[in-house]
Amino acid sequence: MKEVVNTKTVLQVPKWKFTKLKTNFSVENRFILGAGMIVIFIILCALFPKWIAPYSPTYMDTSLILSPPNSAHWFGTDYFGRDVLSLVIYGSSDSLIIGIASVLIGGLIGGIIGAVSGYFGSIIDVIVMRVIEILMTIPGILLALAIAAALGPGLMNIVLAVAVSSIPGYARVMRGQLMSIKKRKYVEASRSIGTPEWRIFLLHLLPNSWSPLLVMATIGLGTSILIGSGLSFLGLGIIKEIPDWGALLSQGRGYLTVGWWISTFPGLAITLFVLSVNIIGDKLRDTFDPKTRKTR
Amino acid sequence: MTIVNKVLLKISTAFVSIIGSSILVFSIIYLLPGDPVLSMIDPSVATPEMVANLRKELGLDQPFYIQFSEYFMNVLQGDFGQSVVNSEPVLPKIVEHFPATLALTITSAALSVVIGVTFGVLSAIYRNKWIDIIARIIGLFGISMPTFWSGILLILIFSVFLNWLPGIGSDGWKTLVLPSLSLGFVGAGFIIRMVRNSMLDVINEQFIVTLRAKGLSERAVMYRHALRNALIPAITIIGLNIGELLAGTVVIETVFSRQGIGRIVADAIMAKDLPVIQGVVFFSAIVYVVINLLVDLSYSFIDPRVRRAN
Amino acid sequence: MKLVNWTKVISISMALLLLLSGCANSTGTKNSSAETKDKVEAQPKQGGELTFALATSPDSLDPHRSGLAVAGRVFRTIFDNLVIQAEDGTIQPWLATEWSVSEDGKSYTFKLRDDVKFHDGTPFNAVAVKFSFDRIIDPKTKSGNALSLLRPYVSSEVLEEYTIKINLATPSAAFLSNLSQNQLGIVSPTAVEKYGDQFGKNPVGTGPFKFVSWTENADIQVEKNSDYNWGPSNVENKGKPYLDKISFKIVPEEATRIGSVQSGQVLAAETVPPQNIASLKNDPKTQLLTVNTIGLPYTLFFNQRKEPWNNVKARQAVQLAIDVDSIVKTLYLGTYERSWSPLTPGIVGYDKSLEGSVKVDIDKANKLLDELGLQKGSDGIRVKDGKQLTLNYVDGSPNREKRNDIAVIVQQQLKKIGIKVEINITKDVASVIYTNADYDLYGNSQVNSDPNALRAIYHTRTPEEEAVFKGLTGGSDTELDQLLEQGTAELDTAKREEIYKKAQQKIIKDAWIIPIYVFPYTVAASNTVNGITFDALGYPLFNDVSIE
Repeated sequence: MKEVVNTKTVLQVPKWKFTKLKTNFSVENRFILGAGMIVIFIILCALFPKWIAPYSPTYMDTSLILSPPNSAHWFGTDYFGRDVLSLVIYGSSDSLIIGIASVLIGGLIGGIIGAVSGYFGSIIDVIVMRVIEILMTIPGILLALAIAAALGPGLMNIVLAVAVSSIPGYARVMRGQLMSIKKRKYVEASRSIGTPEWRIFLLHLLPNSWSPLLVMATIGLGTSILIGSGLSFLGLGIIKEIPDWGALLSQGRGYLTVGWWISTFPGLAITLFVLSVNIIGDKLRDTFDPKTRKTR
Repeated sequence: MTIVNKVLLKISTAFVSIIGSSILVFSIIYLLPGDPVLSMIDPSVATPEMVANLRKELGLDQPFYIQFSEYFMNVLQGDFGQSVVNSEPVLPKIVEHFPATLALTITSAALSVVIGVTFGVLSAIYRNKWIDIIARIIGLFGISMPTFWSGILLILIFSVFLNWLPGIGSDGWKTLVLPSLSLGFVGAGFIIRMVRNSMLDVINEQFIVTLRAKGLSERAVMYRHALRNALIPAITIIGLNIGELLAGTVVIETVFSRQGIGRIVADAIMAKDLPVIQGVVFFSAIVYVVINLLVDLSYSFIDPRVRRAN
Repeated sequence: MKLVNWTKVISISMALLLLLSGCANSTGTKNSSAETKDKVEAQPKQGGELTFALATSPDSLDPHRSGLAVAGRVFRTIFDNLVIQAEDGTIQPWLATEWSVSEDGKSYTFKLRDDVKFHDGTPFNAVAVKFSFDRIIDPKTKSGNALSLLRPYVSSEVLEEYTIKINLATPSAAFLSNLSQNQLGIVSPTAVEKYGDQFGKNPVGTGPFKFVSWTENADIQVEKNSDYNWGPSNVENKGKPYLDKISFKIVPEEATRIGSVQSGQVLAAETVPPQNIASLKNDPKTQLLTVNTIGLPYTLFFNQRKEPWNNVKARQAVQLAIDVDSIVKTLYLGTYERSWSPLTPGIVGYDKSLEGSVKVDIDKANKLLDELGLQKGSDGIRVKDGKQLTLNYVDGSPNREKRNDIAVIVQQQLKKIGIKVEINITKDVASVIYTNADYDLYGNSQVNSDPNALRAIYHTRTPEEEAVFKGLTGGSDTELDQLLEQGTAELDTAKREEIYKKAQQKIIKDAWIIPIYVFPYTVAASNTVNGITFDALGYPLFNDVSIE
C-alpha cells in the first residue's frame, strides 16, 4: 500500500476544526444529540443528585421491600426497601469517578509511555515494550484482583486496580500510532523545512495519533465500571452507603427472578452511559481522524 | 528474515516475558498483606510454635530473593511446588483444570470473531444506515454488560425456563454453549468496533479506490479485498485479549459452576496461595505468548503485504 | 428390613422431622420440613444417583483436618462415629454398643461393634479407634476443630479387640456429645498410612457410602457401601443405602444453584436464598426441607479492647438501637428466626426466658450515650474530645447469608443515635480479626452440639492465648469465667442447664453481643427424591434417600 502514493493527500498537513462538528441532521446526528443529552443528564445526576432524586438513597422503607416499578417508585424498591431510582441517581457519581479516573490515569500513563517509546524508538522502545509485554501476559483482571485483594476494598483502590491493568493496552496502541505517523511524508516534509522537534511532536504527532486512544478510552469508561462490578461479584467490592452502579448490579443479581428491577436499572444505566459516550467518541474520532475525515 | 528465525526470536523474547511476569507476580503476592499461614491453621488451636514451624516448613521465613530463586529453580526442574492451603501439588492441578478453561476460551474467542466480524462488516458496508446502528448497539451491549449478569440471564432463560441447555457443569459441548456466549459477547463488542473502523479505513485506501476504478464489482472489492484487510485488527484484538478472555473465565466459571483454572486462581488470590497463583500465571503467560505467536504468523497468510515484507 | 411396614416408617420419620423442626422452631412458624412427601407408601426404590448441589467446596474430606460445615455434609456419608446424638439430646450407640464412665469422670470405656469393616477391608476395632484419636492430637495432623472437640482427651488403651478405654485430663460433660460430631469420625488406619497428607482427597471410613472421586470445583462422588449394616438410631434404614451413588456438585452462585434444581440438572441443592423460598414452595415439581442448625447463632461481637465499647453503657446503647426484628424480617423474609441468646434453641441449657428480653428503645440508647459525655455534633454524629463516635463494623466476604446486608441496615439504624458506622468487608478475616483485632463489631456463628462451645469464646483469655490469636470479645469477667468452668465439669444435666442459663443472661445483660439469627439449613429437592433427613446438628443424612 505504501507503493501507491498520492502526493496530494499524504503531503496535506492535517488540521482540525471544531466547526466540522456542525453538519446537517442525519440519523447519526440525531443519535449524537441524544447521546450528548444523556451524558449531560448523567453528569447532572452525579453533581446534584439531591435535586433530581425523589427519595433519599439510604432511606429504607422496610414495609415496602421488593416492590416492582410503580408510580411512586419508578424503578421499584430493593430488598432493603430503598428507592432504586434514587440509588441509581446517587450512584452515578461514584460510577463516573471510577470510570473517568481510571481511564484518565491509565490512559495518561499508558499514552505517555507509548508515546515516549514510539517516538524515541531504539533501546528505550525495546525495554519499554518488554515491560509492557510482561504486563500484557498477566490478564488485567488478575492484576486488578491482586491489587484489590492487597489494598482492600475502596473506591480509589478499585480505580488504581483498573488503571494499572489498562496501562499496557494504551501504551501499545499509542506506540503503534506514533511509529507509523512519524514516518509519514508530511512529518518528514515538516522536519525538512526546519520545524523544531517539539513542534512536530505537538502539532503533527500527538494530534494524529490520539484518536485510537480516544476510542479505547470511551470503551474504557464502561469497562472500568464493569471491572469494578466484577470485583464486587468476586467479593472484593466496596460496601458503601450509596453503592455505585457496578456494585448495585452485582448485589442485586441474586434477586433476578423475584425483583429483576434491582439489577436491571443500574445495568441499563451503565449501558446507556457507555452507549452515549461511545457514540460521542465515534463522532470525535470521525471528526479528528485525518483518514476518515477526508471522505466527507 | 526467514519464518524460522522470526519464530525463534519470538520464542526467546517470549521466554523473557514469562520470567518477567513470574517475578512481577511473585513480588505483588509477596507484598500482599495477610499471612497465608494463618489461613492454613485453625486459630482456635494454633500455638506460636505451630505457626513458626509451619512458616519455616514453607520457607516463608526466608528473604524475598531466596524465596524467589528457590521457586524459580524448582520450576525449571518441572516442580511448581504445592498449594500452601491443602498441600496439593500445583502442576497436576493445573494440568487437570486447564483443558476446560482452554476449551471455554477458544470457543468464546471463535464466537466473538464470528459475531464480531459479521456485524462489523455489515456495519461498515451499510455505514450510518439502520443496520449499522443496530450492529453497533449490539456491540455496545456486549461491552457494557457484566459477564456474570448476562451469564445468569442466559441460565434463567435457556436453562431454567426453556430447559434447552445445561446451566452448570463442564462435561460435553452443551455445557460450553451458554458460558461461551456470555464471554464471547464481550469480545464481539470490541471486534465489531474494530472491524467497522478498519473496514472504513480500508475502503478509503488507494488500492481499493484503484480496484473500483478498474471496474471490479463492489461485492468483490468488499469481500475479497476489504474484508481480508479488516480481519487483521480482529485477529490482533483476539490475540491481545486472549489474556482478558482467560481472565474472564474467573467470573464465568463461578457463574456456570465450571471446572477450570479461573476459579482456582480466584480462590488462590484470596487465600494468598502463592504457588498456585504463580503456576496459573505461568501457564496463562505461556498461552498468551503462544496465541500471539500464532496471530503473528497468521498475518502472513491473511495479508499479502506482510508476506511480501518477509 | 423387607418386613418393615413402610407406612409406619414414613410416619416415624415424619414425626422425627416434625420433632426436629419443633424443637428448633420456638416461635412455631410453619416449618417447611413438614412438607416432605406423605404420599409415598411403597417400598423405597433401590438404585439411582442423587445429584446434590453444594454452595461451597470442601477444603478437605479428612474429618480430622477440615472445619468447614460443607465438608461435614460430604464426609458425613463416608465416616461413622462411636456414638450418635439423637434429636432429644440423648447419646445413643453407633459404632460403640455400650459405654461406662469412671467415678471421677476422667475415663470412658467403650464396647465396640465387632461386625464393622472399613471400605478398604481393614477391620474396625479398638486399635482403629485409638489410631483415629491419637491422630487428632498429633500436631503433624494439623487438626483444627476435631482437636478442640476431642479435648481434654489424653490417651486410649486397647483393653480387648473390641473394648477401648479413653482417658481424659479433666472431666468433660460435653465429651460424649462431641464424640458424635462428624469431625470425630473414625478413619481407616491403613488408608491414612497409605495416603498420608493426601488422605483428605482419598478418605476411607466405615460409612454408608464409599468415596469414589473428587474433581475439584466440579464434583465429589460417593457410592453405596453394600456391606453397610450398622446405621445409627437417627436413620430408618440401618442397612445399605438405597441409592447407588451420590454426586455432590459445587455450585457457588446462588441463582445458578437454585436454577439447576428447577431445570432438573441436579435433584437437590442446599442453601436456598430466602427470596427464592416462596417461589420454590409454589413450584409443584420441588420440595423444600428446612432444619435449624444448633450451636452458637449468628452473633455480633463487640471488641471490648476498643473505646468506648469497653464500657457497658456504650454497648447497651447499641443493643437498644439495633432493631434485630426488622433486620431479620427485611432480609430473610420470615425464613430465618431471630435469636436472643448466645446459644441457639435446641441446645442443652438454652435460656428461653431471654426471648423478648431486649426491646428497641432509641430514647434510652441516646440517654446512655449522653451519660458517657458523647454529644451530638452538627451532622448528628456524636463527638467526644473532638473525636467522632465511629463503629468499625467488620464482616467477611463473600456476602454469605446476607451478612454484609445486615451491616448496611445496622449502619442506618445506628445513625439514629449518632453513631457513624464504617463497614469494612474483608477477604482476610484471619488477620483483621484474629491477628490484629482491628474491629469494633464483628459477626460469627458456630455449629456445635454442646453449650461448652461458649467457653472458647467468652472465657477470659491468657496473654499467651491472645498472642496466638485474639479472642472475639476481648472481654473479661470473673463471674462468667467461673460459670463457664463449672459448666464444662458439671455432669448433672439439670445443674448444668442452670449454670449455662446464668451465663447466657450475664452475656446479654452486659451487652457483650447482639445475637441476630439462627441459620436454617435448607435443601430444595425434586419431588422424586424421598427420605432426606437431618442429624441433630442439621447435617443431611442420605441413608433413607431413594429416588422415584
